[in-house]
Amino acid sequence: MRRWAHPTHLAVRFVALLGVACRGAAPPPGGTGPLVLTDDAGREVRLAAPARRVVSLAPSITELLFAIGAGDRVVGRTVYCKYPPAALQVPAVGDGLNPSVEAIVARHPDLVLLYRSAHTDAAAQQLGSLGIPTLVIRHDRLADIARTARLIGRATGRDSGGQAVGRAIDSLLAQPLPPVRARLALVVWDSPPIVIGGGSFLDELARRAGGENVFHDIATPSATVSIETIVARDPDWIAVVQDSAGDDPPAFSRRPEWRTVRAVRDGRFLLLPGDLFGQPSPRAREAIASLVELLSQQPRTTRHSSP
Amino acid sequence: MKWLGLVSALLLALLAALVLGPAPVPLAELWQSPIVRDLRLPRALLGLLVGGSLGLAGSSLQSLVRNPLADPFLLGLSGGAGLGAVLAIALHVGGPWAIPLAAFAGALVALGLVFRLGLVGGAELDPRILLLGGVAVGAFCGAVMTAIVSLAEATELRNAYLWLWGGLSAASWDTVRVTALCLPIPVVVLLAAARPLDLLALGEEPARHLGADVRAVKRRVYLAASFLTAVSVAVAGVIGFVGLIVPHLGRALVGGRHLRLLPAAFLAGGTLLVLADTLARTVVAPRELPVGIVTALVGVPLFAILLRRWTAY
Repeated sequence: MRRWAHPTHLAVRFVALLGVACRGAAPPPGGTGPLVLTDDAGREVRLAAPARRVVSLAPSITELLFAIGAGDRVVGRTVYCKYPPAALQVPAVGDGLNPSVEAIVARHPDLVLLYRSAHTDAAAQQLGSLGIPTLVIRHDRLADIARTARLIGRATGRDSGGQAVGRAIDSLLAQPLPPVRARLALVVWDSPPIVIGGGSFLDELARRAGGENVFHDIATPSATVSIETIVARDPDWIAVVQDSAGDDPPAFSRRPEWRTVRAVRDGRFLLLPGDLFGQPSPRAREAIASLVELLSQQPRTTRHSSP
Repeated sequence: MKWLGLVSALLLALLAALVLGPAPVPLAELWQSPIVRDLRLPRALLGLLVGGSLGLAGSSLQSLVRNPLADPFLLGLSGGAGLGAVLAIALHVGGPWAIPLAAFAGALVALGLVFRLGLVGGAELDPRILLLGGVAVGAFCGAVMTAIVSLAEATELRNAYLWLWGGLSAASWDTVRVTALCLPIPVVVLLAAARPLDLLALGEEPARHLGADVRAVKRRVYLAASFLTAVSVAVAGVIGFVGLIVPHLGRALVGGRHLRLLPAAFLAGGTLLVLADTLARTVVAPRELPVGIVTALVGVPLFAILLRRWTAY
């Protein structure tokens, strides 16, 4: 395990971050010369030239690569990378959190992008010992999208694309927050009940759409809570991210214990499509607009009455 | 005196479960509050029924296989239930009761398989074969389940494991009613087997000489205890430690006679789970801990204290 928390490493990391932030300090954009990049684990990564064969091990990073115009350089993705549709043409190398080093190496990448977690550290180390450079990326919140876009823009020689996405997210973040129009709970799973906390991009998206997450005080991205806590916090809406298309409320809306929640009884569900809301996405503005629209809909009465 | 203690501990645990919770409910409004009436009360009662069933099933199974390490989930039921639940999620079986029903079906299939294995080669439910069969069936189901979770692409499946960790969050009056309807027959079967189970503790041969119908008793006890476990796993997932520790608590408190041990294990199991669930709901509020962690945190120190009295029973 690399000890990146050493003070000198942190200093290097800080300087490198400044380098990323100030365009003047970076090597010529889109150039072919050697690059020195610092990833979100604080590691300094040297690339002989901008990467031409990139394997992305997170759906959100794959989407971002296509968004900055580096889609033609993606040679491997996870089975969960479904957006944009063009990504489906790229061969899948398996699961991102439990990566198969062999399948990755078989794609002959000159750069592998990993989502930062305890599971991916070992894979990053193995790839490093095989001479394949890796960037470990922490990609959870809106501000992360801007930073990651710039980082992978430089790494793939699509600096201007990365900067453009970064600026778009920066300007979104610079906008003042709208007034709160409704309070909502974002429910990920019903048994045990798991909700989205304040440390998540969904919480940010909701707030920027005028919806206040009633579990904003929970600092982690998600947490298990009691249904009784949801009843007490009494959200106006229950938001659910759905992988499959369809406008039926989730099955738990018919469970008696969930019907103690006012929003469930009243059928006030916000059904968020997974491809837009399932991951931190450069389409955040589109997601916010669609959430604003959903929040202005009329609640529909549920067909199933309480038993 | 001991019985008074057991019953009052249970009543206190139930009272605490009603009064305490992450949402503030004024004492004066306790009986009007829908939070207490529709969430805390059914949840406390479900905790009592599930904890009691696990304690009772654990005690009977430990006596049946004459092994103090036996746990209701050791006999393959958790694997079967998990596989059922994962299949229901993977095949998109809809409806609010799909997962509990699928888990129950999976547990029953595992139960039948292990039972059938236990009868192989004329060895009439040999404890060693039951334990090995249980572990093997459980491991096999676990492997199939993990294969499905890692191969299927449905993101919901990653949450299937959460369900398996167990918890009482699905408690409602419906779950309490269904569970209460399932309990009487296996409970009566086990209580009726109390005397033969006492004899079985001496060994199968002596028990037979003392007039116990060993064959029939073993079958009845195995099926009734496993059925109780299957009901528990369907409504509350796999809650660990209760079925392992409570039988020993019970023996330390009231001795090894089954007519006393079995009811004591039911009361102690219910108390432990209700107490653990109250802690799980409140100590890190607004978040909630998995109740299996709390049963271990509460149960193991209690167990350690009673281990010092090991020689007493």
